[in-house]
Amino acid sequence: MPISEEIIVRSELRWAAISVGVVSVIMIALIYAGLVHHINPPSNIERIDPKTLHLGGEFTEANLGTRVSGDGQVTSRIVATQFTFQPRCIVLPANRRVTLRFATPDVIHGILVSGTNVNTMIVPGYVSQVHTVFTRTGDLLMPCHEYCGLGHSEMSATVRVVPPDEFKPDAEGRVACDAR
Amino acid sequence: MTHARQLTFAHLWLAFLAFAVALVLGVWQMWARSPLPAPFVTASTYFSAVTAHGTAMAYVMPVFMIMGFGYYVAETALDRPLPAPRWAWSAFALGLAGALMATVTIFSGRAAVLFTFYPPLTASVFFYLGLVMVVAASWIWCVLMMVAMAQWKRANPGRPVPLAMFATVANAVMWLWTTIGVAAELLFQVIPAALGLKAQLDVGLSRTLFSWTLHAIVYFWLIPSYIAFYTMVPQAAGGRLYSDTMGRLTFILFLIYSLPVGLHHLLMDPQQSNAFKFLQVALTALVSVPTLLTVFTIGASLEIAGRLRGGRGLLGWIGALPWDRPLVLATGLAFLMLGFGGFGGLVNMSYGMNAMVHNTSWVTAHFHLIFGGTVVIMYFAIAYAIWPAVTGRAAPSLAAQRLQLWLWFAGMLVMTLPWHYLGLLGQWRRVATFNYADPIIAGWGPWVVVSLIGGVILLGSGLLFVLNLLQFNVSREPHAAAPGELYASAVHPPARVPAALNGFRLWNALVLVLMILAYGYPIAQFFVGDSPQALVHRVDERR
Amino acid sequence: MNDPDRLEQPWRLWASVAILSVFAFSVLFGFVLMPVMQGRAAGIDAFEAICRALGITPGSPAARQPTTNAKAQPATRVAWSADLLNSLTKATAAGESLAGSCAGCHGRDGRAVEVKLYPDLAGQSAAAIYKQLHDFKTGSRPSALMTPMVQALTEEQMVAVSAHFAAFPVRPIPAAQLPAAGAAIEGLVARGDSGRGMPACNACHGDQSGGPTEAPRLSRQSREYLAAQLRAFKTGERRNDIYSRMRSVAAPLTESEIDGLALFYASTRTY
Repeated sequence: MPISEEIIVRSELRWAAISVGVVSVIMIALIYAGLVHHINPPSNIERIDPKTLHLGGEFTEANLGTRVSGDGQVTSRIVATQFTFQPRCIVLPANRRVTLRFATPDVIHGILVSGTNVNTMIVPGYVSQVHTVFTRTGDLLMPCHEYCGLGHSEMSATVRVVPPDEFKPDAEGRVACDAR
Repeated sequence: MTHARQLTFAHLWLAFLAFAVALVLGVWQMWARSPLPAPFVTASTYFSAVTAHGTAMAYVMPVFMIMGFGYYVAETALDRPLPAPRWAWSAFALGLAGALMATVTIFSGRAAVLFTFYPPLTASVFFYLGLVMVVAASWIWCVLMMVAMAQWKRANPGRPVPLAMFATVANAVMWLWTTIGVAAELLFQVIPAALGLKAQLDVGLSRTLFSWTLHAIVYFWLIPSYIAFYTMVPQAAGGRLYSDTMGRLTFILFLIYSLPVGLHHLLMDPQQSNAFKFLQVALTALVSVPTLLTVFTIGASLEIAGRLRGGRGLLGWIGALPWDRPLVLATGLAFLMLGFGGFGGLVNMSYGMNAMVHNTSWVTAHFHLIFGGTVVIMYFAIAYAIWPAVTGRAAPSLAAQRLQLWLWFAGMLVMTLPWHYLGLLGQWRRVATFNYADPIIAGWGPWVVVSLIGGVILLGSGLLFVLNLLQFNVSREPHAAAPGELYASAVHPPARVPAALNGFRLWNALVLVLMILAYGYPIAQFFVGDSPQALVHRVDERR
Repeated sequence: MNDPDRLEQPWRLWASVAILSVFAFSVLFGFVLMPVMQGRAAGIDAFEAICRALGITPGSPAARQPTTNAKAQPATRVAWSADLLNSLTKATAAGESLAGSCAGCHGRDGRAVEVKLYPDLAGQSAAAIYKQLHDFKTGSRPSALMTPMVQALTEEQMVAVSAHFAAFPVRPIPAAQLPAAGAAIEGLVARGDSGRGMPACNACHGDQSGGPTEAPRLSRQSREYLAAQLRAFKTGERRNDIYSRMRSVAAPLTESEIDGLALFYASTRTY
């Protein structure tokens, strides 16, 4: 064979170096996104008992939906359950930092907001939290994207992104979807 | 071959029968999801079908294929009879019984939990026990493979284990590590819940344990195809393997890096921290290296073959390759699909991009392309390559085999490319019927139908595959050549290799260290403080 | 260089070095540098940012945690637990004696004395009966008739009575056959309607549904009772379904669908 072992080893090592280079580029891109754009996965190890979720605290039915707190933070709280979201429609302002918090009293669910990078699993026992800024206005579809039982196919909600001047909280800081 | 002939025949037929049934279900599922009205669709039948399809394609078919191919390699690469064939047949019986038990349970509607189980949804205990039996059968196979290699080493001291067997045992060792996650989840959480012994579960823990298995299992599926790339394809192409050492290194890298990366399946989950996700994503970036190495080494091996056949110029050797041989054709098609599928994998592992595609059709399209495409097309080619030795008959028609491979390739692209696109448009997963009255969803309809057509082509190809195998039984020409002739030699066959490349002691130690560092705290955190538990939701009966 | 042991050492060394470097790099960036720098931009101190990145405290290292001051106004006060569910499976003598006072309307054997007025309890899910009793008592489900009846019941008594009635066989199909509900209704039951976001009724009320714990068995229930409950959920007059699970599916139903569904379930043999 005209190819010597040394040439083979050298070519393989050269290729290995290129491969490691490709891998490094991927990692650098990830680090860049993390440091400059503060992109993190939606980790949030905040435990909450699913069996008593509805009884008191943050995720009682009356406390769900979008609320602006005293210091101006916009937070929307949604419960995912077999087989609906409550509330089924939430309003959020565009061009402003918002936080979405999700919990479930029963099984695994998940959401994505179509056309955005809002995407998270909703695991019973944990509060899922996503921070984002919506840039486009309109009604966005928020389906349940993880299998949660036989009614999974019909489970979805709407995220209504409105221009900042149309986002008007009431006296308690709440904003609800009108019937449109 | 002493025992492998019948063992391989039985295992591969069982795998391909499960595969054929799953293909039919898959087409029906795509039909149900499309705007075209499909029969028998209800939420219950759809999700039971998805469970059956996933269980057959992810567990039953690969396990039996890999076991059968492993027995073949053990006897032909090592040139000695398989140790303890009775254990092998007991494993087959155990696995078959388990597969049947799980199948009956799924089709009776008592296990609509999908192949990923989704606790706290809890199916009939017979579903889980059936799968446990299949996995237990595979464990027996793992031990047999390790014993076969150890016996050969004792009989051949100082000599390098033939690469095909080294890789097979690497796969077996990796599979033993891999199944720990799902075994722990089933043993300590899901099966007690299914038996009614536990009324609630820590779902965060079960998802984390399952993630341990969920990534490494794809390498379990993939390694036989890579074994074919390294040890059979260069021979079929008329060349030599560029580097035996690189081959060993590739399989070792799969062994160590396929396990501590499972959290990348939980990137969008709340219950795992940013820090450990980052760590496992860094390790995931490393697991792309063995594939990159393989592309180079096999490319180089094929280049040798092409140039030996008179190919000239920078790319002229490609045309000179014997594309009429199914193994070579399958490799070319597999590499093309690997290009698309591999790119998709890189998207999935970067969490910024993952947030755009998680749980959309992109993910479904990705794994159908990379597993159903790249890996399974090689399964077909392996079966065609070894069937003459297994059945003792010559191949009746290579043209029919090539047609089947081309149909599989075409069908896979037609099915998965629009599916990737739909994922980017926001189409989400695990839906039995879409509301095509909604204007946005209506826009997806035509692409869903195109995917369905791809699925139908795949069904045709799958049925042709079964037919091609059956043809061997009616072929009149006997096959005389020795089974060992399928294996390639390296350009510079090694006289000796370091123990690190001839055994797994060092690598097992490294896997242990890696798993403790990468999964230690992510699992331990569920036992620190109190982890809230979710109630069990039974899908087999009301209680 | 052909001695295997001498071939060994570089492999061990380089393998360990490579792996430890990957870890060192990941820990440096993922555990320390990234959270600290993200925290700095968001006004979170370094230690807190690292704790959040490790998952020891909740929240993102890159953003402030929202606060909450919710006031509890729950739709129901029932909270399921493993023990409660376990106790509901055991029919006891105490339950039998208590059930005597229910028999006037609901029958000795759980079959309603007058099906047009009262629901059957025979063969009903014990969890479902228990929840309704509890909700009647706390006023989560308003009922002029039932609320006074259950005021005196303790927690254990409600469990006992529920388990008692659950053990009876469900009423068989009446001799006078009811008309068929029709394909559209059967479609709602088995497939739901994705256009209106309605899951199949079977998804919660079927035998193999894996749905909510308190989902009652609807089969062979009083037709009038079922229709009245669907209407009550539709108008919001009945609000004790956790997180609007029933209100959200009842609201889009038409009047004829409500009647059709009630008829379907009154006459079904299965589940």
